[in-house]
Amino acid sequence: MSTIVYSARRILTMNPGQPFATHVAVRDGHILGAGSIESLKGWGKFELDERFKDRVILPGFVEGHSHAYEGGVWKFPYVGYFDRVSPEGKRSPGLKNIGEVVTALQAYEKTMPRDGSTLLAWGFDPIYFGGRRMDLADLDKVSTDRPVVIIHSNFHVLNANTPVFAKANITRSTNVHGIVKDAGGEPTGELQEITAKYMAYRAAGIELAAVLSDEPAIRGFAKVAQLAGVTTATDLHNELPESTVEAYLRATSSEDFPVRLLPAFAAGSVPPEQGIARLQALMKRNNDKLRFQLVKIVTDGSIQGLSARMRWPGYYDGTPNGVWNIGPDDIDRLLLAYHRAGFQVHIHTNGDEASEVAIEAVERALAAAPRWDHRHTLQHAQMADAGQFRRMKALGMCANLFANHLFYWGDIHYAKTLGPERAERMDACATALATGVPFAIHCDAPVTPISPLFTAWCAVNRLTASGRTLGEAEKISVADALRAITLGAAYTLKLDEELGSIDVGKRADFAILEDDPLEVAPEKLKDVPVWGTVLGGRVFEAPKR
Amino acid sequence: MIPFTVIGGFLGAGKTTLLNRLLAGGTGRRFAVLVNDFGALDIDGALIAAHGGDTISLANGCLCCTIGDSLVTTLLALLERPERFDHIVVEASGVADPGRIADIAVIEPRLMRDGVIVVVDAAEVRMRAADRRVGDTVTRQLAAADLLLLNKLDLAQDLPTLRHWLSTHSSAPILEAARAEVPIDLLFGLDRHGAPGGSDTANAFKSWSYEWPEPVARSVLLAMLRDAPAGVLRAKGILRFADTVDRRSVVHMVGRRIDVDEQGPWIEGQASRLVLLGTRAVLDWAQRGNTCRDV
Repeated sequence: MSTIVYSARRILTMNPGQPFATHVAVRDGHILGAGSIESLKGWGKFELDERFKDRVILPGFVEGHSHAYEGGVWKFPYVGYFDRVSPEGKRSPGLKNIGEVVTALQAYEKTMPRDGSTLLAWGFDPIYFGGRRMDLADLDKVSTDRPVVIIHSNFHVLNANTPVFAKANITRSTNVHGIVKDAGGEPTGELQEITAKYMAYRAAGIELAAVLSDEPAIRGFAKVAQLAGVTTATDLHNELPESTVEAYLRATSSEDFPVRLLPAFAAGSVPPEQGIARLQALMKRNNDKLRFQLVKIVTDGSIQGLSARMRWPGYYDGTPNGVWNIGPDDIDRLLLAYHRAGFQVHIHTNGDEASEVAIEAVERALAAAPRWDHRHTLQHAQMADAGQFRRMKALGMCANLFANHLFYWGDIHYAKTLGPERAERMDACATALATGVPFAIHCDAPVTPISPLFTAWCAVNRLTASGRTLGEAEKISVADALRAITLGAAYTLKLDEELGSIDVGKRADFAILEDDPLEVAPEKLKDVPVWGTVLGGRVFEAPKR
Repeated sequence: MIPFTVIGGFLGAGKTTLLNRLLAGGTGRRFAVLVNDFGALDIDGALIAAHGGDTISLANGCLCCTIGDSLVTTLLALLERPERFDHIVVEASGVADPGRIADIAVIEPRLMRDGVIVVVDAAEVRMRAADRRVGDTVTRQLAAADLLLLNKLDLAQDLPTLRHWLSTHSSAPILEAARAEVPIDLLFGLDRHGAPGGSDTANAFKSWSYEWPEPVARSVLLAMLRDAPAGVLRAKGILRFADTVDRRSVVHMVGRRIDVDEQGPWIEGQASRLVLLGTRAVLDWAQRGNTCRDV
């Protein structure tokens, strides 16, 4: 029963009774107390650890919406526009034009065996290239012997080379939705939606899904998260096949696994009677670092993928309304079944029609089966307006807003998908605060990189990639943003009594920062270096960059 | 190439009833059927050869469960299996666009897009189509159909108005039924020999076949199929076109959709052959086939 007291330059506790401290005492993986060294002495003998004395301690960050295949995609080369950090802490520099992407892929291709195997890469995003799209000729420069497939950052579009198109016999006369053609009617090399998905799996081999969620992928995910100061992370949509469950169990049972993991069961993957029984059985296998308890329903698609379900007046550029993954009738049926069984349900809604349908489904479920403190949470809720937030508040719902979208796709939303007015109020953190809806903010990794300080920076500054301020009125303070990535996110996962703040009896999960996020300029928040984390009292130092 | 059919239609239209009829019917062909939910199906226990998780092997084919996100991976796994199937049938989810799923067969050389059958609930479709949240989903499904199966006819009110309304949303021929009672061969095509199956084709439907010893004019044959009356529901032909006399051209029509594929060299000594399937009432029109040879 040893006690360690960590000293710090400052501790931001998220505990309103004592917002700041200089020392925190840890015993048995839990917080014994926080305050001054004097105030902690009464607990008896302790060892003083001063390694953080010039650093700042926060509650460990909680990522309420991410996916473990962030750890799996690193098996393939990253070719995105922005720098990105791998699980090993290595920075992959952003590639600023198509020529750089091709050069990087040519170099990678030379390291591959000469067996005709597929070169798969990910993270590509041509929206920053001033209108120039990648084409067949670009990727034919990488190889004309092996299939080359480049998955875009939104995971719904890909580019391929001529061998891929030849094998599928795709020509100018192939009349299929999702094959992009140029003005002359020739396929450009870009594929979208189900056509893209089919070709990606076909080219990569069907084991793609398995390698994205095996044990090394889960460990990789945990490391990427830990490098960013995260101590609790979700894998927020998983069908939970036994192989994945075993991989979670093996990974989380090892001492050096650096995060607490919460998978969310994909409610659409089996009939609810089966799903409820399966989840109840899985909950018996929970451990300190693995918690089965969440359920996920995916309603619509994505705004930038032109598949969000929107209310009138719909897409700004006139694109027809998006598609339901699970339609309104089934949302009602699934939600009611899991609600009755006592589960908290996380509902993916990007468009405002999807949010409306989900809110009304919760309303009906509550009328059919009244329940307190269900905390059903809208995930993304990017287009939710003030009226929808008021309804969410009245129904006891939470929101987890996709703040990273403001930076990565804000310019597209302003110009094409939503138009100025709705783009400026998207991911409405200030409205959530004003209406009293408990909320978190998230990254949706691997769609965008996992880094809660960056996500907080997005909510505070609302800057797009081109530097536009997207909605002054929806900015929130640094203090509110820091709460959203700690206690706020913990609340949306029903973990706020256990973690999310530095308070007596809670788990000793900390993010250790090199600087004080309340003292740096708000526009520098994303640049505050993360030294590492503490998880249940165990110290995890991030590799030096 | 394996024929690939997608069954679409909104929740409650009768897709499962149709699949039950397909699985119960002795068509003499091996079907692989990809469904959303085993539980809803009425599978004859005597037919089940093996049950393994997401796949049930049947004496007359197999069933795979593809609920959720797994359609693509299930289909790819199916194509890698050593056993052969005569036909693959996919049940689309109630909100999916079945045309998009059928596109897979166009870019997969091992598959041949057979058709999109959209099952329509005669009692509810117009109400669903007027719903602001699902109306566009319903009308997209109708527009994607090669054949419409207007089901639950016994529950329909004002059928003439409903038929007209459907014709404004889809150019596909309409088969009318209660409890999805339609000849399975009409929906799932001619068997691998290009001849209609026997027992299941009810008296109201008929097939015709033609043979031409000489090469056939492509434009005339395609025009004939394009102009076919609504009662001609399917056609399949293996033809020697006059403009490509050294190639085997396979012509395939489901509803109003016509596909032509070249499949290898023409085998000398054979005759061009075309089989039509449709309602008995259009027999007279079918005599026109003889004109192809004259051009």
